[in-house]
Amino acid sequence: MVKGMNMKTLKFYTIVLSLAVASCTKDKTDYEAEIDTVVTEYDEFKEAVAIRSEGYDVSIEALNGAFYKGYNEIRLKITNSQTNEKADASAVTFLPIKTDAEGSKFSCPHLYDLVSRPDDSYFSGYSVFTDESSTNGSWELYISFTIAGRTYAVKQNVSVQEQANKNLNMTTFTGKDDEQYFIALVSPQRPKVGENELVAGIYKFNKPINPPSGDFPDLSQFSYTEVSGYTLQLDPRMPEPSMGNHSSPNNKDLTQQGDGLYHGLVNYTMTGNWTLNFIMLNQKGQILKGTVVPDDFTPGVEGVKSELHIDILF
Amino acid sequence: MKKLCITFFVLVLGMNAHAQHTHEQSDSTKRLEEVKITAIAKRKIETELKMAVSVDEFLASSDNISFIKRGAYAWEPLLNNMSTERSTITIDGMHIFGACTDKMDPVTSYVESNNLSAIDITSGQAGSLHGATVAGSIDLKRKSTPFGLEKNWSGAYQTGFEFNNNQFFNLGNLSYSSDRFVADGSMALRKAGNYYDGNNDEVNHSQYNKFNTSLGLAYKTSPLSSVRVDAIYDRAKDVGFPALPMDLWLSRAIITSASYKQLFEDGMWRVWDTKLYFNAVEHYMDDTKRPENLVHMDMPGWSTTYGLVSRANLKRGDYSAEIQLNAYDNLSIAEMTMYPQDRSNKTMFAYSWPWVTTRFAGLSVNNSWDFSAVSRLNFGGSLGWNYNYSKYVEFNRIFHPGTPREKSRLLPGLHASYQLNVHQFDFSVGTGYGHRAPSVSEGYGYYIYNSFDRYDYIGNPDLKNEISYEANASAGFRNERMGIEAKVNYFHIQNYIVGRILSLGSPMNYQSVGVKGYTSLNHARLFNVALNANYDMLQHLHWKGTLTYARATDDKNGNLPFIRPLSYQTSLHFMYGKFGIQTSLNGDFAQENYSPEYGEDPTPAYMVWNISADYTFNFTNFKAVLQVGAENLFNEYYSTYADWGNIPRMGRNMFTSLKINF
Ligand SMILES: [Cu+2]
Repeated sequence: MVKGMNMKTLKFYTIVLSLAVASCTKDKTDYEAEIDTVVTEYDEFKEAVAIRSEGYDVSIEALNGAFYKGYNEIRLKITNSQTNEKADASAVTFLPIKTDAEGSKFSCPHLYDLVSRPDDSYFSGYSVFTDESSTNGSWELYISFTIAGRTYAVKQNVSVQEQANKNLNMTTFTGKDDEQYFIALVSPQRPKVGENELVAGIYKFNKPINPPSGDFPDLSQFSYTEVSGYTLQLDPRMPEPSMGNHSSPNNKDLTQQGDGLYHGLVNYTMTGNWTLNFIMLNQKGQILKGTVVPDDFTPGVEGVKSELHIDILF
Repeated sequence: MKKLCITFFVLVLGMNAHAQHTHEQSDSTKRLEEVKITAIAKRKIETELKMAVSVDEFLASSDNISFIKRGAYAWEPLLNNMSTERSTITIDGMHIFGACTDKMDPVTSYVESNNLSAIDITSGQAGSLHGATVAGSIDLKRKSTPFGLEKNWSGAYQTGFEFNNNQFFNLGNLSYSSDRFVADGSMALRKAGNYYDGNNDEVNHSQYNKFNTSLGLAYKTSPLSSVRVDAIYDRAKDVGFPALPMDLWLSRAIITSASYKQLFEDGMWRVWDTKLYFNAVEHYMDDTKRPENLVHMDMPGWSTTYGLVSRANLKRGDYSAEIQLNAYDNLSIAEMTMYPQDRSNKTMFAYSWPWVTTRFAGLSVNNSWDFSAVSRLNFGGSLGWNYNYSKYVEFNRIFHPGTPREKSRLLPGLHASYQLNVHQFDFSVGTGYGHRAPSVSEGYGYYIYNSFDRYDYIGNPDLKNEISYEANASAGFRNERMGIEAKVNYFHIQNYIVGRILSLGSPMNYQSVGVKGYTSLNHARLFNVALNANYDMLQHLHWKGTLTYARATDDKNGNLPFIRPLSYQTSLHFMYGKFGIQTSLNGDFAQENYSPEYGEDPTPAYMVWNISADYTFNFTNFKAVLQVGAENLFNEYYSTYADWGNIPRMGRNMFTSLKINF
């Protein structure tokens, strides 16, 4: 008798419970999905272009097998076309050239002398494409390498695609020292709420002293370097009018680390549109570009930005 | 005979509303209906002035409860002038946590006056039976009809109308009692429009709409044991909060429990009562009815709690004890989704409670020893383990880099008091010591907008335990015609948790002016004093009065907010045959010790006069009471020190109600 009642009680209780649990009026936000689906992520190196030249295959790999506007890490492999084995190449160089509608030629920040990574059997470098390929301009890669004392030179048209991930945006500007600078975001590709390590490359165009001479390309016309010892002051904001130019605490300015890139910390307090406002200082601490963003909370108004900034989204 | 005597003794204790130890709860398993009914009658949920009161109005008649009011509904009860984080509020010992980051839903908003039998308020550490506390405990006791009543069916129906805000309410409850089976059911519906202040101006967004129903079933499994299942369902819809920048669209709570009770006929153990419980609260705010909001935001919240409470009563000779085991697991979730002005842009999302789990397990003991005919010693303590887990700790780490995802705390508590009864005088002195853990908002809250001081609040997972040192004393005199009692208590609270302006970060909410982070003050001090008196001037003319005063300062002798200034309540009750007339006066003196730092400004004095009359009549088997009255008869325009954003209180309110018992 006692047992029977307890069972009944239990049943009733179970029904009440399951009704209660199963009947939420509004669904909870799937936060992990919320921060997951927004960005296009580049996670795997694939062949972006293959060139065959005089018995050798040159393969250039990039993330997702394509070149995008902004920072592109590249891996170059050279194999013997006949044996399909890795060729013993050295002095590998890489030069991207853009030809615009008028026929003028430009380059973009890049690593000219690729770094050999014998353990991984590729040559490593990067290219910061400043534009996507269009009717106004096309990109060509000039590559040279030396095998057994002989130098080979190849060139190949490539397509540079629009940057689909706003977290890898870049900006080009002229500093107060009258030099042309480039800042390209490298990481994070997929920011999260909270603290993120922010990585960017800062490059400078080395103005040619003499007019072009000799055979094309004249390297002195297309020289870029990573700037060293600069500081990129960071002030992240949400420029959306409803957010009043909201900022976040505990951020860290970007400084150069061993990999030549600039590393800092950015905190995103919520998902949405963010602007990374920068002030770029040279080795002496002089401001080359950027303005201070006022601290005022300005709801209802599109947020003020530094003259040097990059918009991101997540 | 002996058994009956013991039970009678217990019931007498139960009747004393401020009894610090109700050793054996009024025992619903035995056949003691006559005595039991008296006990209930003494503690029924109504005030001197009004018989059909809300839970809030009933609580307000207690001298150590005050309220923060954000509108006409769901007032936040302050015990000893301390906010709800510092007290434990339970329903029959069950822990429930509101799902609103803005405190729109204190636990007291999930019950109704017609499913409660009493509210036990215990001040300070003596209230640690239900878990770690600083201010004390408020336990809402549900109705539970005894087995084997002569009358199988009993019930009540109340209806009424309040003219100021067009509040219409219907409350009904029905009980069935047989030797082996008991059922209690209740249903309540309240609907109110906007109220009007003392200048006859409408206070927009002050409407509410509440539905509450409860069911309890008990079965006697043996002469000395019973099982009981209970459920309360509460739904509030379209509730305005005039003092806040948003309203409530919907809030629902389901509160369930299953318990087993065993009585023992002889030996030291008397009662053992164990209950498993589950409750879930969902809360959805609505800011779309406020044109001043340029930003639309979704702010849903959820709170789910599983728990166990197991209590045993012991008695041997002059010594009795109550032991309680409390364990619960709560998950609190609150979200913010902000919509951009250009809706084609991406919405913005953050957690204001990033899936915070709180687990608590604690053992509490209250002992009482009658060591002479006139004196008694009460002493006890509790030891609790409190554990927090923040699933999306990245939100907390923005302001507190590297803070751990999990945190455990040990919460000890001790208390002792001595009571002396000499002739018509009684005295008591007591002391206490106890810890409490930060609340979910204090520990893990994230950009919770406080419209009182207009700051966004950030929790701090690394806060230290708040530690309370307490002393209390009382003295009273009572004879057949009059009684007078004075009570004082003093709290010295170490690591007192408050919000302090942060130099970091910037506001997130549209109306906000800055960011405050919860931090610990070195200490704070609170002092409460209450004076109660009653006098029967004639056989049918009764007077009652209460005077309270409180003072609270922080470690720099600055004032703490929401501290009640000198205030009074006084009432006269006259009965003539089947008629009764009540009148009462209540008010506060000017609030001089206000706290500008926490957004307060001085509040002038006010005085409100209320009056009501009732008529009792019988027809067939029914007993009915009809009441009419007016609150704030002179239509005074006022707001109190604890009215959020200085919203004005209700002006003159004529009310009428009818109650039928059978
Ligand atoms: Cu709310």
